[in-house]
Amino acid sequence: MMAKYIGRRLLQSLFVLWLVATLAFGALQLTPGDPAQALLAASGATSEEIARQRAELGLDDPLLRQYARFLGELVQGDLGRSWLHGRPVSRMIAEQLAPTAELAGVATAVGIAVGIGLGVLAAIRRRTWVDAAATAVAVVGISVPTYWSGLLAILVFALHLRWFPATGSGSLRHLVLPALVLGFALSGSIARIVRTRSVEVLDAQFILAARARGLPAHRVLFVHVLRAALGPAITVSALQLGFLLGGAVITESVFARSGLGQLAVEAILWQDVPVVRGVVLFSAVAFMLVNLLADLLQAWVDPRIREAL
Amino acid sequence: MIEWTARARRPLLRQPVTALALAWLVLLVLETLVLPPLLPTDPRFADPAQVLLPPAAGHVLGTDALGRDVLSRLVWGGRWTLGMAMAALVVTFVLGLPVGLAAGSLGGRVDALTMRVVDALLAFPALLLAMVVVAILGTGLLPVAVAVGITAAPAHARMVRSVALEIRSRPYIDAARSVGCPPLRIALRHILPNAAPVLIAFATTQLGWILINGAALNFLGLGAPLGTPEWGAMLAEGRGYLRDGPWISVFPGLALTLTVLAAHLVGNGIEEALKRD
Amino acid sequence: MRYILLVLVLLTFLLTSCAPQTHQPLVYGLTLAPSGIDPHVNASSELGIPLSSVYDTLVYQDPATGEFVPGLAQRWDVSEDGLVYTFYLRDDVTFHDDTPFDAEAVRFNLERITDPALASQKAAFMLGPYARTEVVGEYEVQIHLSEPFAPLLDALSQVYLGMASPTAVEEWGDEYQLHQVGSGPFVFAEYVPGDYLLLRRNPDYAWGPSIYQHDTAQVEEIRFEFFTDPATRSPALETGEAHIMGEIPPQDAVRLTEDEGFYVEAAAIPGVSLMMFMNTTRAPLDDPLVRQALLYGTNRAAIVSTAFRGTSPVAYGPLAAVTRGYDPAVEAYYPYDATTAAALLEQAGWVDADNDGVRERDGEPLTLEMYLMGWGYMPEVGQLLASQWAEIGIAVQSEVVSYPEALEIGAEGRHHLIPFNLSGSDPDILRKFFHSQASFNWAHIDDAEMDGWLEEAARTSDETRRDALYRQVQLRVMDQALVLPIRDYVNLNGVSGSVSDLRFDAQGWFPILIDVTLEE
Repeated sequence: MMAKYIGRRLLQSLFVLWLVATLAFGALQLTPGDPAQALLAASGATSEEIARQRAELGLDDPLLRQYARFLGELVQGDLGRSWLHGRPVSRMIAEQLAPTAELAGVATAVGIAVGIGLGVLAAIRRRTWVDAAATAVAVVGISVPTYWSGLLAILVFALHLRWFPATGSGSLRHLVLPALVLGFALSGSIARIVRTRSVEVLDAQFILAARARGLPAHRVLFVHVLRAALGPAITVSALQLGFLLGGAVITESVFARSGLGQLAVEAILWQDVPVVRGVVLFSAVAFMLVNLLADLLQAWVDPRIREAL
Repeated sequence: MIEWTARARRPLLRQPVTALALAWLVLLVLETLVLPPLLPTDPRFADPAQVLLPPAAGHVLGTDALGRDVLSRLVWGGRWTLGMAMAALVVTFVLGLPVGLAAGSLGGRVDALTMRVVDALLAFPALLLAMVVVAILGTGLLPVAVAVGITAAPAHARMVRSVALEIRSRPYIDAARSVGCPPLRIALRHILPNAAPVLIAFATTQLGWILINGAALNFLGLGAPLGTPEWGAMLAEGRGYLRDGPWISVFPGLALTLTVLAAHLVGNGIEEALKRD
Repeated sequence: MRYILLVLVLLTFLLTSCAPQTHQPLVYGLTLAPSGIDPHVNASSELGIPLSSVYDTLVYQDPATGEFVPGLAQRWDVSEDGLVYTFYLRDDVTFHDDTPFDAEAVRFNLERITDPALASQKAAFMLGPYARTEVVGEYEVQIHLSEPFAPLLDALSQVYLGMASPTAVEEWGDEYQLHQVGSGPFVFAEYVPGDYLLLRRNPDYAWGPSIYQHDTAQVEEIRFEFFTDPATRSPALETGEAHIMGEIPPQDAVRLTEDEGFYVEAAAIPGVSLMMFMNTTRAPLDDPLVRQALLYGTNRAAIVSTAFRGTSPVAYGPLAAVTRGYDPAVEAYYPYDATTAAALLEQAGWVDADNDGVRERDGEPLTLEMYLMGWGYMPEVGQLLASQWAEIGIAVQSEVVSYPEALEIGAEGRHHLIPFNLSGSDPDILRKFFHSQASFNWAHIDDAEMDGWLEEAARTSDETRRDALYRQVQLRVMDQALVLPIRDYVNLNGVSGSVSDLRFDAQGWFPILIDVTLEE
């Protein structure tokens, strides 16, 4: 059953991937401006030289041929070359992936830890002030724009207290503020689902039975509640990968970190279409893969889903 | 629906937090409609002699780096920020509702195909997608609204679909279908009205998301025309002056956060109230 | 439980993967993270900051006198007709990979730059009417041109035409930019795009030009890091993460000058000042009276004091005051005078008949469309202009656009006003803006006489004649009110007190790193 399920999901993903690629190709054809001119204007190139550059970049070919070439290269894993830098897009993405993955990874870890903490806390102290407070923190987490909380964090922890560097990347200390800011934003939606699931579990018969058997409360909490809460937390964080990558654009901008977000912003501003397309496609593939994995992981964690397959 | 708040199931206005949040939103809408023209200072007037003044009597929230009054920019900014969000919400509904309703009510191939398209759109990082759309359409109120609306539409469509699917399985819809009621009529007359309350709750929550992303585009310099007082743009203007003028960015950020928070709370409140049924 | 463990393990892995550095190099903050940093291929000024100390050039320009002094070429001569430049090279130079430098290496480099397959974005164009390079002897080489080209020595003094090791270029091919090899005072040690670039002292360096004060570099290592966001630069300097930081925002620069631990090294950049181009083909700016009114109606001193906190000089003409060939006569033009501005507008028929604050003519309001790019304080300048012009009854609609879009708008003439600035030490830069065929002819001027002056000045090697021609161009531009100059570009470098002897070359952008010292 599992193999068939995975097969079907993969097939669907391929179709979606083609859609994503086509959308990305089509949309970026519409951006205004001539990249050949952008590359050469400041050097005093003549219009013939600019026209030659256009031809060199393949911009004069009919749209369908450009599309066919793009798809053909994509199938071979080739994302083309940056118009601005003349380097393979795949290599540029590979270079910028590490700092973004680092940020996204640690932020997700922070988000899951804080989210589970808040959610479980709210669930076990249901309808008390603890619940209300934890819930409030979670809603605030969802509501605060990272570009504001990031600025506040810089203002307080970097400029005034000087605990952490304001900006930049490279070391662990640089990672703390952006990861906390992004992780906190993520924790809200995780806390929400975790609380719901934990309440269900706490109310479930087997927990009541376990308690009745005299199992210590913290053991009940750890074994059953956390186990039940983790599945949905994984799903939510996987679904939030798009948010994380979007958030990376903002967080990398606020904290002046290098990474995929900065690469994409620069490419959009310079209309470096192959790079924009490459980053978008890469993010989409990452999103789909992670969600596929999350679904499988959840199926593995949660026996009910496994059996439903 | 997901149980979320700790409160017991109560009608909307009997939940104090929700009522407070709703009051904030209503006040804000009224404020943006009425207040801006009554302000004494022009939000665009730059006075080189009054640069980076801290909050004080003459300028209650201080002045920015070009010598403009932060308070009047904040008040005018609400008009732009909220207006953009409302327009984006309309775009979301126009795009998402028909698609989701068709998928959920008709099912089968229509459902499978539209949901794959929705999957494709959801796979794009929303902010990047919005940036590309703005790069194509140019800056301004409408392009930003369309950009943010487009990125919010897939989630909306998916939500509509799941609600429609659930309603479709109810016995009375089966009954309507068995007496030969056409699908379009079923969708519009039976499914949509029943789905409406849930959708309103979801839309309110999405409003928060839209506000954050719309202001984010402005923060990245891809939104309102230059000089427009807008909260995201004000945050961007202020970030170069965190040390010499924190008030430039702190107040618009606070206003934005409170508004997003209010939208979330009202959305949750509506959900809560709906659970009574 | 195992998931929590998994998360913890992952976390630990991520955290330990970034261990702290042990040694203390000089950290130099750059403002762009250009992924393309091969000076033969790419065009950014940023790449020259590190790389002008990695590569040597045939000649150097003395920043104090503007004279060209020997570099890799001990001397040179130019043929009567200005078509052949003969360079007599040093015979004691080796590249960092021990490849010897000779005439063949010069030929290799120039052929590489001009090879269309390399798709050079700047270097190839700097060579102008380049025809070919001929190796005359082991250390004697001739550059042949198809027509005379006065800016050639200026071009050859810049890093974009620096000499790279032929061995390394052939070995690395497409990836050469990650493994660059020159013969300069610093060795290109390590480059992680977007993260850092490390230079290491070249202990064997012994062939520096006279503008270098030391024989070899005074610091062991320089680590360049990227601070693309202006708001982050001064905090990085103040928290000790960087010793030198380029392009500090004016407000932060003012604060740093008041701080004992830091100083600001303001490097004036020659070239075309930041200025608004006025589209002379689009009404109402087709009327010289309206253009002059804009010039009179602009309080440039207020703009410089607000947007630039007084850190840049006010610009009066198309060339920055530190550029060769600058004519101070432009300073007499268009002093701020709102009354004259209003009178000129009335003379042109623009009157505020309905008293709404905006002038009209034939029922058309006086509204100007301004397009701005998001960098270089152009948005701030645009908003201040709009605010000032509102007082003389002119409405402005401004929009921030991307660079490619601005180029398209400027070329098509969809704008009334669009700003630009560009750096370069030779006044030939004016040809990129005021020649009728120029790519930045955003004033949309078509003046055959001015075309002639610009073309002649590019061909003439007689400096006096050149100066006279460029003087005529500058005055014509101001007489015709083609541009509204705002400010001369100044690169505000924030410097930690532990750094001394930071000087810049004739381009203003490129530091002379060999002489920089760092106190531990």
